Amino acid sequence: MVSRFFRQAGDSDSDTESSDEESLTSGDEASKPAAPAKPKSRFLHSGGSSDSESSPSEEETEDSEDEQKPAAAGQKVSRFLATGSDDEDSDEEVKRVVKSAKDKRLEEMEATGNSMNNALKINDWTAISTGQLRNKQTSEFDKLLRMVQRQQNVGEPIPPFFIHTIVDLETSVNDAQSKDAKKKMNATNARALTAMKQKIKKTLKDFEKEVKRYQADPEAFEREYTAAVTPEVTTKATKTRKIEDAADQDDDTFQTVGKGGRVLQFTSENVFKELQHVQEARGKKNTDRSEQIRILEKLLEVAATKYQRIRVLLALVSARFDYNASVTTHMPTDLWTAAQKEVDQLIDIVATDNHYTVEEVTLDYDELAERTPDEEGGGIVRIRGSIISFVDRLDDEFTKSLQNIDPHGTEYVERLKDEKYLYTTITRAQAYYGESKTQGDSLTRVIMRRLEHIYSKPDAVVNALEASASNTDVRAAASKLGSTSLLIHSLCVHLYKSGNSLLRTRAVLCHIYHYALHNDFHTSRDMLLMSHLQESIHSADVATQILYNRTIVQLGLCAFRCGLIKEAQTTLQEIFATQRVKELLAQGVHQQRFQALTPEQEKAERQRQLPFHMHINTELLEAAFLVSSMLVEIPLLASIDSEEQKRKAISKPFRRLLDFADRQIFTGPPESTRDHIMQASKALQNGDWQQCRDLVQSIKIWSLMPEAATVKEMLAERIQEEGLRTYLFTYAPYYSSLSLALLSQTFHLEVRTVTSIISRMIWNEELSASLDQSAGVVVFHRVELTRTQQLAQVLADKVNALVEQNEKTLDSKLGGSAGWGDRGDGGKGDKREQVQERRGRTGARGGTSRGRGRGGRFQQGLGNQMNEVKVR
Amino acid sequence: MAEWDLSQKIIPYLDRHLAFPLLAYLTETGLFPAEEVQAAQYELARKTNMVDFAVNLFEAVYPGKEIPAEFNEKRQEALLTNERLQQEAQAVLDVIENPDVAQALRQDKNQNLQYLKENYNVNLEQITALYNFGQFQYTVGNYSGATDYLYHFRILSTDADLNTSAHWGKLSSDILIGKWDVALEELNSLRDAIDSRSTPLPASASAADPAALGQLHARTWWLHWSLFVYFNHDQGRTLLLETFLSPTYLNTIQTSCPWILRYLVVASILSRKAPSPSSRVRHSIREIVKIVQTEEYQYTDPVTTFLKELYVEFDFEAAQKALKEAEKVVANDFFLDNFGDEFMDNARYLISEAYCRIHQRIDIGDLSDRLNLSRDEGEKWIVNLIRETRMGADAKIDLEKNVITINRPPLPIYQSVIEKTRGLAFRTQAIGAALSRTSQQQQQQQQQQQNQQREQGQQQSTSQPSATGVVATSAAGPAQGELPTVVEGVR
Repeated sequence: MVSRFFRQAGDSDSDTESSDEESLTSGDEASKPAAPAKPKSRFLHSGGSSDSESSPSEEETEDSEDEQKPAAAGQKVSRFLATGSDDEDSDEEVKRVVKSAKDKRLEEMEATGNSMNNALKINDWTAISTGQLRNKQTSEFDKLLRMVQRQQNVGEPIPPFFIHTIVDLETSVNDAQSKDAKKKMNATNARALTAMKQKIKKTLKDFEKEVKRYQADPEAFEREYTAAVTPEVTTKATKTRKIEDAADQDDDTFQTVGKGGRVLQFTSENVFKELQHVQEARGKKNTDRSEQIRILEKLLEVAATKYQRIRVLLALVSARFDYNASVTTHMPTDLWTAAQKEVDQLIDIVATDNHYTVEEVTLDYDELAERTPDEEGGGIVRIRGSIISFVDRLDDEFTKSLQNIDPHGTEYVERLKDEKYLYTTITRAQAYYGESKTQGDSLTRVIMRRLEHIYSKPDAVVNALEASASNTDVRAAASKLGSTSLLIHSLCVHLYKSGNSLLRTRAVLCHIYHYALHNDFHTSRDMLLMSHLQESIHSADVATQILYNRTIVQLGLCAFRCGLIKEAQTTLQEIFATQRVKELLAQGVHQQRFQALTPEQEKAERQRQLPFHMHINTELLEAAFLVSSMLVEIPLLASIDSEEQKRKAISKPFRRLLDFADRQIFTGPPESTRDHIMQASKALQNGDWQQCRDLVQSIKIWSLMPEAATVKEMLAERIQEEGLRTYLFTYAPYYSSLSLALLSQTFHLEVRTVTSIISRMIWNEELSASLDQSAGVVVFHRVELTRTQQLAQVLADKVNALVEQNEKTLDSKLGGSAGWGDRGDGGKGDKREQVQERRGRTGARGGTSRGRGRGGRFQQGLGNQMNEVKVR
Repeated sequence: MAEWDLSQKIIPYLDRHLAFPLLAYLTETGLFPAEEVQAAQYELARKTNMVDFAVNLFEAVYPGKEIPAEFNEKRQEALLTNERLQQEAQAVLDVIENPDVAQALRQDKNQNLQYLKENYNVNLEQITALYNFGQFQYTVGNYSGATDYLYHFRILSTDADLNTSAHWGKLSSDILIGKWDVALEELNSLRDAIDSRSTPLPASASAADPAALGQLHARTWWLHWSLFVYFNHDQGRTLLLETFLSPTYLNTIQTSCPWILRYLVVASILSRKAPSPSSRVRHSIREIVKIVQTEEYQYTDPVTTFLKELYVEFDFEAAQKALKEAEKVVANDFFLDNFGDEFMDNARYLISEAYCRIHQRIDIGDLSDRLNLSRDEGEKWIVNLIRETRMGADAKIDLEKNVITINRPPLPIYQSVIEKTRGLAFRTQAIGAALSRTSQQQQQQQQQQQNQQREQGQQQSTSQPSATGVVATSAAGPAQGELPTVVEGVR
């Protein structure tokens, strides 16, 4: 029963919350059912006749009681209204409701009392006390008690009628027991009587004071009661307010109930009061957020002065962001759009009138008073709030929604169109902060946001964004700059100058990414090396690490597009060696084979994911990596003949795939990208460069690469050259000489190129051969090694390795201070140099130790990265 | 050829006075119109105190025009300043030139200063007068005088900034007088000064991080100035390689002045045969080829192209073409002018070496073409080559067919094994030495620590004799690391 009550109360809550009209009707409903409950005649009739008969009537009262509860709720609500606003009008409004509810309760109570009296008359103690024969859990008495208790809870005085009843009851109980009537009673009735006696005793104790007062002077008590209840709104109001202050009940949303006329009250005068109410309610448990938003919207309509508008907008945007309590779900699009518009308005107001500023830290001021620039010190009204956090939040919500929308549906595309507006807002904010010049920190943050929107996009998209931004807002700063690169450069330079090292790091990564995207490999590589990020990236936060990974990958792709196969291979190698490309790029959650992620981990992981449109196509990435691996690895494989050396693979993932493909008994026509590349590799191994070229070029994913045609051409050229090298390595043992002309014909290369390639191989001692110029042939001098000789060589290598290992160990043991021997010359100066180059990064470009040990550095950065992710 | 001229790039990193020789050289080469160069010279001179020189230039540039009055004023002013500064400086000079003083001076500058102050009443301001006078002498073009004054100033002064400035001034003066030995010394000490502490140039002090950036600037300037010395001193080229290839300076070249690569390449080609103790110099070409390759996107000229074509592309025709260009470039370069023939000889040698290593049979005529030589000359060249180098045994000229046959027996496998294992014993020894050295250091440290601990222990033993005494003695062994905490715990 109790639980039911709560549930119902809850239900009615939600009903009343939903709208003004409804809450009104619910009040009506509440008063109506009270009427049918009143005629107790049926009950009276059947009163003591039989147990079975009285049960429906019991139910009836139950029902009526249930019905009545909303009214009780309504009453409670209305009282809050009364306290909430000191308006006379609304109080008048409320009183009506109060009365109906109270009357009803009193009637109810009286009805219960009457039925008890009836039962008394026929000595039916069961009805009064336990009601157990009627399958009822509650007895009349209990019901009465409960009602009184409720009455007390809401702070109303105890009706004298109740006191009267219990006093009567006590006497009759005593009578019944003292009389011999007991004997006449049946067993149940007697039991009920005893139980009743105890209950009465208890109740009397509870109400001892009132009872005494009543017994002393019943009439005075009654008078007191009526005085307390009927005429006085004021006393009640004070009383209830006290209660509200004390308990500060969580049902603040009830404010809205019965507010049919209240819309009219949104005047510019009471804007601040309303605002304060809303703000007080913010964050509380049962606050109806949509209602609040509605109130604020109306407030915005009536807000007259700029100050009011700013205040309301600040509250409104926050309210919109509050709408979703859960972190995981995203904000509804319409709310987002509205919020975005309002942030725009807000920025417009503060940007056009520099007498008003919104700052995070201000002096205390009276929330309820209107403020104007004239009255304020310095002529500037400072308002507490943070536009930058709104912009941040807007951006975050946008990303979140993109994360949650299915990227293959039209909804995603629709949503993506909103980026334009968001970008405009961001540029506006930038313009505002740029002009106000007071909040440098906010400016850098907003610039970072802007940068993150454009760094990974091709020129056309950025231009579109810029165009929309400059259309709507004339004063959008820095958007006048012509090309995208210039824009990004200017944004980055601003961030470099800021003191925030995290933003600097992110800015330089974005900058590098941008250069890489525009095929400026050397610049981006130099910037990356000079920033020395690979040494410190493992200590950065996850988002930055992801950005770093993205940058590295983009750099690799850039190298690939530029035809720098080796660089592309080493760059991409590290990330592919982990086999967790998607996870490292935050483009998919990693499925761990052996241990499942905890839900928290998974949630965190999901929040890190990039929206789909930012993804770097992993298939394309893989194709680029595998093709460059093929071009590096296949000639190398061909050049080494001993099993031992073969194990030292440059690219393990590629080697693994190749081995797997080798083991395949039957190979069908290639389907996937991998198949294509594996078959191409085999063709290359066999010296069939044409097939290799065709296979590689027929990979479909290339179409996603910008300038696909030139890339394919470049690949064909590389395949020709590497094909020649592979051919020479593979077949050198079987020829004593080869004609250059023939080679050039076979590989469709110029004789000059062939000569150049062969010369290089001879010079680098990869190929033991020499050219015979007059005959135009290459002569091979192959020497077969005997077993002993081979072993001697291996032994020498191993001893070498041993010494090197020793040196390394010693180095690390001595703390790597390069203190011993002469090998670390200039070590110290080198370090200093690096520092200074990092400093001079914005101005000068160039490389530190490019080429040398770059792979190692990447490894370091990424390796640590892996560990970090793993640990997490 | 003007496109390959580096004067414009180099001059910004030179002192006004150092730029004069460059400009004078440009008038000789005739790459640029003589008037323009003269105008540039005049502009340079106008700001100096070399009034007469400036007037001469003015007359050359604007013949028939009247000499501006400002020169007269300037001359007067300069004379006055000269007199004033000389008087100021003379006081100090008189003191210093006193043999007693010279003997009394020691290494310690502060002490010297004290000594001078006490005995001769010479204070810091007066010494600074030396600097001022030296600087003035420099601006009027009296370089040898400037050298002297700045030298004395440096010995006495303790002001770091002025000292550095004096350093540069003295180097510049030495270069301008042409005392290369002295200049080399000065160059090296300046380099040490730059490397040992960051010595910001006044010009760069405005940058965000003056220390690091200033050092980069100083190095860049130093690199440019050093060219004067290195290409005039006898040992210069080897030294240049040694310095420029050290990581810090290589980085500087790559970062701020890639054009210096040309001089690096030329120096490495020139010092091909130079005996040098450093392996870095001996293998310089290989290293430089790598650098040239990586810097290709930043800087190329015929000289670097030559190296690249020869060692990266192995395109002998292209290399030969580049060499022809490079010859002109070298001939027109202020620093390299004197080395034209030497450069060509060595470059030819490099070509033929590479060519012979790759080829088995070579047509003499063809090779001569590759070397930009006539047939007869080519034959002579090749014979010399065979005679000079170890190829002698393997290469034979077949005059009938007009070919050279090179027969290279493959390197015996055992030899390669020996090569590989050659340095190992030494390296292991070095490891051993390093180990023992560090262990000694550690022992010393340990002893010191122990002593400290003992002292601590004794101090404490006064208050808590029993407990700490035990700790101090028992922990004297290997448990050094834990000791402090133990003691603290007892405390």
